[in-house]
This record gives sequence, structure tokens and C-alpha cells, in this order.
Amino acid sequence: MNLTALKKINHGYLFIAPFVIGFLIFGLYPVVNTLALSFTDMTLMTREGNWNDFQNFTRLFADDVFMTAVGNTWLLWILNFIPQIGIAMLLSMWFTNARLRLKGVGLWRAMFFLPNLLMPAAVAALFFSLFSYYGPVNQVMVRFDLLPEAVHFLQKIPVARALVIFIQWWMWFGQTTIILMAGMTSIPVHLYEAAMVDGATSMQMFTRITLPLLKPILVYIFVTSLVGGMQMFDIPYLLTDGRGSPSQSILTNTILMYTKFASSKGHIGAASAVGVMVFLMTSVCAMAIMYFLRDKDKDK
Amino acid sequence: MFKDYRFTTNLLRVFVYTVLVILLIVTIVPIWLVVVNASRSTLEIQQGLSFLPSTHTLDNYGTLLGRGLDLGRGFMNSLFVAFCSTLVTVYFSFLTAYGLVVYKFKGKKLFYNLIVALVLIPLQFSIIGFYQYMSKIGLTDSYASLILPLIANAGAVFFAKQYLEAVVVQDLVDAARIDGASEFATFHRIILPLAVPGLMTTGIFAFVAAWNNFFNAFILITTRDKYTLPMLVQTLRGDVYRTEYGAIYLGLAVTVVPIIIIYAIFSRYIVSGIAMGALKE
Repeated sequence: MNLTALKKINHGYLFIAPFVIGFLIFGLYPVVNTLALSFTDMTLMTREGNWNDFQNFTRLFADDVFMTAVGNTWLLWILNFIPQIGIAMLLSMWFTNARLRLKGVGLWRAMFFLPNLLMPAAVAALFFSLFSYYGPVNQVMVRFDLLPEAVHFLQKIPVARALVIFIQWWMWFGQTTIILMAGMTSIPVHLYEAAMVDGATSMQMFTRITLPLLKPILVYIFVTSLVGGMQMFDIPYLLTDGRGSPSQSILTNTILMYTKFASSKGHIGAASAVGVMVFLMTSVCAMAIMYFLRDKDKDK
Repeated sequence: MFKDYRFTTNLLRVFVYTVLVILLIVTIVPIWLVVVNASRSTLEIQQGLSFLPSTHTLDNYGTLLGRGLDLGRGFMNSLFVAFCSTLVTVYFSFLTAYGLVVYKFKGKKLFYNLIVALVLIPLQFSIIGFYQYMSKIGLTDSYASLILPLIANAGAVFFAKQYLEAVVVQDLVDAARIDGASEFATFHRIILPLAVPGLMTTGIFAFVAAWNNFFNAFILITTRDKYTLPMLVQTLRGDVYRTEYGAIYLGLAVTVVPIIIIYAIFSRYIVSGIAMGALKE
């Protein structure tokens, strides 16, 4: 081995060293610390906690709130993900369609993406004010006789849930469209030409060429959306009272974790247990999706 | 038959454009309402919807200030945090990515897999352990706790690596070495200037993420003077502002408008950046 090769080796480590150190201090240690805390009865009021084995976890499962939060999070995520991927798929097919040759594709796409960049906290506060009792939605509805009198929209379970789902959809369908389009345009045109020569219908071309070749991208969208969805906080937290009202219908995993953390005693042990459980659930689901939807042909 | 084909294509086009326009309205109206209503008085807002701005921006600002909400200060705090976050993210992600692209070393594959895994792992769930640890070392209620973790920003490294792989030419690196440039000088003087478009894309995403970050700031920052904009926005839902709609919308507009301006200028970088992050996964 000559001198330059040796020099190369050393410098590779030097370049990645800040990341590794940063990760150990700010990434890995907090995870380990959270895991440790989840087995203690530590609160923000006490300096030292006592080990209480699996008590935090058994309490979580004895308490309906945790399962409610997990159920809500899944419900809110799935109901926004389906229309999100559906509309994005439709839009990206239209935008890349050679027969339609739409004008201003870049501009449409750019506009649809805009909500994604806005501050979720501000978006939630906006919808909170739009749908509040004295808010403009009530004003307009009553003025045009669509409603006999003003309604406490945000105290109705279906409305609160529908709003969270709508906002999530509104913020993400543009981003999903951009990713799907990038995937579709990377499919070689000659595949479609060959299929056309063979007399394939456009439906056949979609199911036999587009979908299979898009699979890696679909898995990426699926997994990133799931991981993001399981961490949903800003919008359901700020849309109502910060406790998932009405009747805990929009109480998500992270809101539950936060309420335990911010409770009068600050039960950080119990809050950590929520974090650990949801962390495990999300990671296992993400890995399962990637495993089951992996490219099986590649393995052979 | 050819005429038929043309007719159905046009019919299809009309349908598609109609759907696009409806989606556009759904996308834009909420944003537009915020911007317009920020300049209208509460009375005007309550009299009905309008899509034209009015002249009460300053009154609304005064209302907020009168109730102890210093929007200007929050704006400067957010700007400071977002700016530092951007610098830290961009510099360290490209530093790390350069190490991965240019050098061969033991454990490189493992390190790369770690980064890919970190992109997907929901680290938000370790915030409690993070908080308790920060409070032990006295970094709670300090912007450092928001900015320093970005030294290890896996998503940014992933993007920077994709970018550098396309840009860095080994010959260029070797030529710099022959000229006697040190490894770090090569990175700083030759590679970084070459990678400016990639730095911009990473920087824009880092800025937007930091600007919009509510959760971490909400947990870690406690002094009111240090509140960033999302934390102030959160207080806008309180009873104090219950019917001060003009003021509420102004608070929201201040958080939203800078991002819209950034997007108007840099949308090209942003759209291509999203596609690039996903394609090579």
C-alpha cells in the first residue's frame, strides 16, 4: 500500500467524523436515554427515578387511551394516504400523457406543491379560525342560508377528523405527484412503443409497464408517508384544544406522548414508554413494507 | 375516425383542465385568505369574504403587540434559528457526503446503510430522552439544542451524496492533490464552489424545515422572548385573540409569506430536489 492510499483512508474518517460524533451525541444517546427512561418512574420533578420494570408499558396497555391514540393515528393516516396517492397518480399520468399534451405542467405542479412548504402550525391555526364558532365559514353558511344557525364545527367528531385528513391531503398530494412524475418520466419510452406495436391498451400498459416499474418509488412514498404519518402532531394538536378533542377523536401518538410529558408532574418515564412503543411499531411496519414489497426478481 | 380521435382528445382535455382548476382553487384559496385577511380589519372580515386586500395591516400589528405578542421579535428569532440551521446542515452534510464519495475506507458500506436507515427512523419519538439529556447539560431553552443536532442530518447527507456523485470528477480531485492542496482545501476551495446548485437545494430544504419546526421548539424552548414564529402562532388560538381575526391572520401571514417568496424564487431547485431524493432510493 502506498502513501497516497494511506492518506486517503485517514481522510475518509476525518470527513465523516463530525457526523458520527454528532449522531452519537444528539441521535443515538437520546434514543438510548429514552429507552432507559421508559423503564423508570422518572418525572420532571424528581432528579432520580426508580426502575419500575415494565410498569409503564403494562399501564399503557391497561389504559384505553394508548390504543385510542394508535387507532386514531392509523385512521387519520390511511384516510389521507389513499386519496393522496390516488390523486397524485391521476395527476402524474395526465401530466406525462403524450396524447393530452397539457400546457404549463411545471406551473400546475409547482402550485399544487406550495401547501407542503407552509408551516403546519400556521395551517392548523388557519383552519381553527376558519371553522371556529365566530369564524368565516359559519358567517358565510348562515348568510347564504346553508345553515339555520352557526355550528360548533370543531366540537363534532366527523368534522374534526375530516379536517385533519383534508389538511394532511392538501399539504402532501403535490409532493407525491412530483415524485411519481419523476418516476414515470424515467421509464424508457421504447417500452410503451413496443407495447403499442403489440396492440396493448392503455390500461394494459399502465398495469403491465407503469405500475411494476414504479414499484420502488411507490414503496418509497408508502414508507416515508407512513413514518411521517405516525409522527403526526402539529395539525391535530393545534386544530382543537391540544388534547385531541372532541372526545379524543384526533388524539394521535405524539399528542399522547406530549400530554404525558407536559402533565402537571411531567411523567417523562411514561411519556418515554409511549415513544418507545410507537417507535417500535413504526419501524417494524416500515421494515415489513420494504421486505414484502421488495424487488423479488433481484434476489434471484 | 381521425376526427373522432381529435374530438375525444379535446373533450378529455376539457375535463382534465376542469379538474386541475378545481384543485388549484382548493390549493390556493386558504393561502390567499390568510394573505388578504392580514390586511383587513376584524370588522371587514366579519362582514364577509373578500379576495382583495385592505389597508389595516399596521392596525393588526398594533393589536398583536398590544396583547403582548411581538411578531417582529418572533420573526427575528425564527430567522436566526433557520439561518444557523441552514449553515450547519449544508456544511456538514456535504462534508460527510464528500468523505463517502471520494474516499475508500473500512466500514464505509455500513456507514452508508446507517444513513439510509436514519432517513426512515422516526427519531421524533426520542424527544423525551433528548429533552431530559439537554436539561442535564443545560442546553434546554437554548437555540443550540435546535441547531447542533443538524450536524448529523441523515436526509441531507443522503441528498448531498447523490448530488456529489454526479458532480465530483476524480481527476479534478487528483489534480488538486498534485498541486499540493490539502484534502480539506480541495473540499473547501474546489468542490464546494462546484456544488453550489446542490448546496442551494439542500439549504432551501433545511431553511424551510427549520422555519416550520414547531414540535422541537415547543418542547425545548420555554422563555417567551425566545419563542420562534410557530410557537407564537400557537398562542394565537388563545382566548385573548378570540375575535381579533385581522390580527390572527397577520400572525399567520408573517409565517407564510416569506416561504412563498422563497418558493417563487427557488421553485426550480425545490421541485428537482424532491424528485432527486426519491429516485435513487
